[in-house]
Amino acid sequence: MGLSPVTRLIAVLLLVLLPAPLLIVIGASFSPRAVLSFPPNGFSWRWYAEFLGSAAWVTAFGRSALIAVLAAVLTTLISLAAALALDRAPARLRGAVETAILAPLLFPHAAIGIAFLGWLALLHLNGGFAGVLLAHLILCAPFAYRPIAVSLRQIDRSLTEAATILGATPPQAVRLVVLPLLRPGIAAALLFSFIISFDEVTVTMFLVGPEFTTLPVSIYAHIHDSADPVVAAISSILILLTALLVLLIDRLVGLRIFIDIEEEGRHAPA
Amino acid sequence: MSGGRLLLLAPMAALLAAFLLAIGGLIWGSLVRGGLGFYAELLTDPIVLRVLWRTVWIAAATTLLCVLLGYPLALFLARSRHRNLWLILVISPWLVSIVVRTFGWMVLLGNRGVLNTTLRDLGLIDAPIRLLFTPTAVLIGLTHVFLPFLVIAVLSSLLQQDRRLEEAGRILGGTRWQVFRRVTLPLSLPGVIGGASLALLMATGAIVTPLLLGGLRDRMLGTQIYTEIFQVFNFERATAMAVILLVVALLLVAPLRLLEARIRRAQEAA
Repeated sequence: MGLSPVTRLIAVLLLVLLPAPLLIVIGASFSPRAVLSFPPNGFSWRWYAEFLGSAAWVTAFGRSALIAVLAAVLTTLISLAAALALDRAPARLRGAVETAILAPLLFPHAAIGIAFLGWLALLHLNGGFAGVLLAHLILCAPFAYRPIAVSLRQIDRSLTEAATILGATPPQAVRLVVLPLLRPGIAAALLFSFIISFDEVTVTMFLVGPEFTTLPVSIYAHIHDSADPVVAAISSILILLTALLVLLIDRLVGLRIFIDIEEEGRHAPA
Repeated sequence: MSGGRLLLLAPMAALLAAFLLAIGGLIWGSLVRGGLGFYAELLTDPIVLRVLWRTVWIAAATTLLCVLLGYPLALFLARSRHRNLWLILVISPWLVSIVVRTFGWMVLLGNRGVLNTTLRDLGLIDAPIRLLFTPTAVLIGLTHVFLPFLVIAVLSSLLQQDRRLEEAGRILGGTRWQVFRRVTLPLSLPGVIGGASLALLMATGAIVTPLLLGGLRDRMLGTQIYTEIFQVFNFERATAMAVILLVVALLLVAPLRLLEARIRRAQEAA
């Protein structure tokens, strides 16, 4: 069925507007002047050089990357273990645990931030690496668990049965049959949680301290004071990195995974 | 459940326990320290009430805009042969950090931003239009942030539909609009409501976008909480407001979730 001209118009406008602010940031990052301007009057790498020359920015970048890698690997392992454990569990138990895993999605981030701040302050873990990592693990869990659960459900049961009949022990069947088939789900889980952790700011801004901060929180603090083009340069690097990750998801898993996860969520108990 | 499986589930259970402890601690702590009297005091404070009202209307308006704009875009994507290409355009900005996206809108909407400069160069305005630090800017920024949630949710439910139903509607003499209203729209309602409830929840708890685009005058609950912690250092008030935020979000989202579940059950029964 054809689409009405109004629908087409809105869609095309949005497809232009959604990336527009990001393209403008990239454009402004090449400005040779100290004032943020677009279109840039000239071309220079000045602000990229300033970013790379600043120990504070590079440290923040490195920290965010380290936290994101750790969060991605740990959350994926934890989610994989949970998904395998729940695979043949009674439907009611699985439903209850899955609802709990998705729970962080049902709370406003500002409230989660304060909740963690209060709890971590009691343990004297606020303003440090451990607290931020713990919060990120929890925030990433729904995004790591769902693609793995989707992949697991798509596996043909008769394959593991065949393996067992051919003499594989249950752990062998998991290692030799299930895990290789789960590869797209695991890849999606790693990439999703890396992105979530690397970008997270709303909860993290409550948990950082004077000695420890992440890149997005530093960017936020910097924009709040002044909007000079060095932020545009860093932002451009982040935009490029995200675009590469999206292409990687597309190549390794297919963007269809975003839609499959939506569907999966729909069949899960509310 | 066997011991081995319980062991696999343990790390995830620990994460969930940490999350529940944080949220429980938030509510418990605020009741013990401040008590109900503190809430009564807060909820009669005209400043808090204004913030509360602003939060609700901005979140509701954002959600409405996301639905009105996101639906046509999802429809366009569902029917397009180049869906994967358009999906990249929708998903990439979605995954870029909120700080970076909001920064893009600051560059666009500022007094010396792209929009005002262009309008002045074209001779359309003499003085810059004040957009940055207004509720309009917050609305634009939040819609940009949450639109992809809606697009993906609606797209997923559109792709699940049996296209033959629409064809049947057309063959039976329905106009394009009639078929949309009687067939396509009702079948996609669960996706619309699911996406809308997510956007509403996240918009209610937003901090970064309203802080950077709305400034410190027109606060939302999230920004108010942030200010109480980092500028006034009033942890008690911040905690109580976080609990209020939880309750407001729940009151806003719960009816939508119930409606979604009811529609889904009705459709599955049909």
